[in-house]
Amino acid sequence: MKEEIIIAGFGGQGVLSMGKILAYSGLMQGKEVSWIPSYGPEQRGGTANVTVILSDERISSPVLSTFDTAIVLNQPSLERFENAVKPGGTLIFDGNGFKKFPTRTDINIYRIDATEYAYANNESKTMNMIILGGLLKVRPIVLVENVLKGLKKSLPDRHHHLIPMNEKAIQIGMGLIKKVN
Amino acid sequence: MNDSKKQHNEEVRLMKGNEAIAHAAIRCGCDGYFGYPITPQSEIMETLMELEPWNTTGMVVLQAESEIASINMVYGAAGCGKKSMTSSSSPGVSLMQEGISYLAGAELPCVIVNVMRGGPGLGTIQPSQADYFQTVKGGGHGDYKMITLAPASVQEMADHTVLAFDLAFKYRTPTMVLADGVIGQMMEKVILPPYQPRMTEEQIIEICPWATLGKTANRKPNYITSLALLSEDMEKLNMRLQTRYREIEKNEVLYEEFSCQDANYLIVAFGTCARVCQKTVEMARADGIKVGLLRPITLFPFPTKAIGEYGRQTKGILTVEMNAGQMVEDVRLAVNGAVKVEFYGRMGGIVPSADEVLEVLKSKVIISTFE
Repeated sequence: MKEEIIIAGFGGQGVLSMGKILAYSGLMQGKEVSWIPSYGPEQRGGTANVTVILSDERISSPVLSTFDTAIVLNQPSLERFENAVKPGGTLIFDGNGFKKFPTRTDINIYRIDATEYAYANNESKTMNMIILGGLLKVRPIVLVENVLKGLKKSLPDRHHHLIPMNEKAIQIGMGLIKKVN
Repeated sequence: MNDSKKQHNEEVRLMKGNEAIAHAAIRCGCDGYFGYPITPQSEIMETLMELEPWNTTGMVVLQAESEIASINMVYGAAGCGKKSMTSSSSPGVSLMQEGISYLAGAELPCVIVNVMRGGPGLGTIQPSQADYFQTVKGGGHGDYKMITLAPASVQEMADHTVLAFDLAFKYRTPTMVLADGVIGQMMEKVILPPYQPRMTEEQIIEICPWATLGKTANRKPNYITSLALLSEDMEKLNMRLQTRYREIEKNEVLYEEFSCQDANYLIVAFGTCARVCQKTVEMARADGIKVGLLRPITLFPFPTKAIGEYGRQTKGILTVEMNAGQMVEDVRLAVNGAVKVEFYGRMGGIVPSADEVLEVLKSKVIISTFE
């Protein structure tokens, strides 16, 4: 098993954190993992992306030009990464604010309106976990129990009371994601 | 496989390469870190400040006013036989070159970490390997060499920090850990090295009889200097250094081979480029091309002999770097004309992709061998 993932969006959407939680989940599941951010002069509102690889084998290149799965959370990221998905791969997008939508027919495209849901239900802080839930529904690469273990490992003790809220967000995301092609 | 089994019995952590360096420094008994922040390596000092080792091991962590101050603080601490280190990125390391030459001239052990970014000038904050010449050919003045370790994973960031101190003290020479922005910024699994206590004064006196820890009645004063006004004395120092460098070349070469046994073609790459090229090898092998990868782990001493042998066994060699072609000169010297050595590089902070390298391998290296 090897899954090469790019997560891209605006700074502040929790892109890097989502990648980190995914990487920790992989660690808990005994996978080889790598996590590399685009560490340019990013700022809130600018673009941010992170490449995460989970694999049963030793990971060769942590820097990739094509991906099994792309999660894009804003228009510029869709434009940049739609063509970087390998044929037969998966594209997940949050349609909030999109004017142009994905057009490829050789990949599996899913939409998850996590931003809209999060704002309507006052859950904006768990928006990225909703999307992670959507990812795990269509690409079950790690068990939810390992995500929760990963959260426990990566969060300081004083934040552990927030874990159930994140678990709920994952479940919401699993229900929210829809295939569009 | 054995490695991954072993990992599960010990504490496996997930952290950035820069963080791994900070943890490893504390654990290997480092006495002092002196540095000045610069992307993409600021997490080294940030992590040290967060871990507050002055409360546990007694290690000093100090943000100096500049890189020039940092390297000279390292000089002072190293003169006392203390395990001292600094870290920076390309423009900052340029500022340190005078100090590094003085450390080499004064025969002082220390560790310098360079997490390279694109240059020249203030450049970019993205990863690069364009400081190869500066590091292995001597960026400062005079005939000196620095042992240079080139980590390609977060695990090696930790391991090489420990190894760099061991080698620095074994040979009384500044030692460089030459990483790049990718290795510094990426998170991977790592098992941190075991804790070693800092050296006591008695141990330093025993291991470093040259150190200036206060003169006792039964010995002559120790001088730490790189100045010898008599040319004869200076030549003697140079000869001592050169003898030591030959010893290092004989004893300390490290490299890793990947799919080399039956290879018709060889890729030579270090650091992040070696990771990318490992993927190229996997892709090429799937296409039926017998290509291997040789990754120099020490850049000085360079694996000249191993590459020379592959020069006689293979039909073509490709060197891949994130620069305009620096290590390729050492690869060409190693094969000494036995086989054609091609080069592919990206500059200014761009990391080459595995596909690009495969394309170059097919179009430049494999084609040319049919001529």
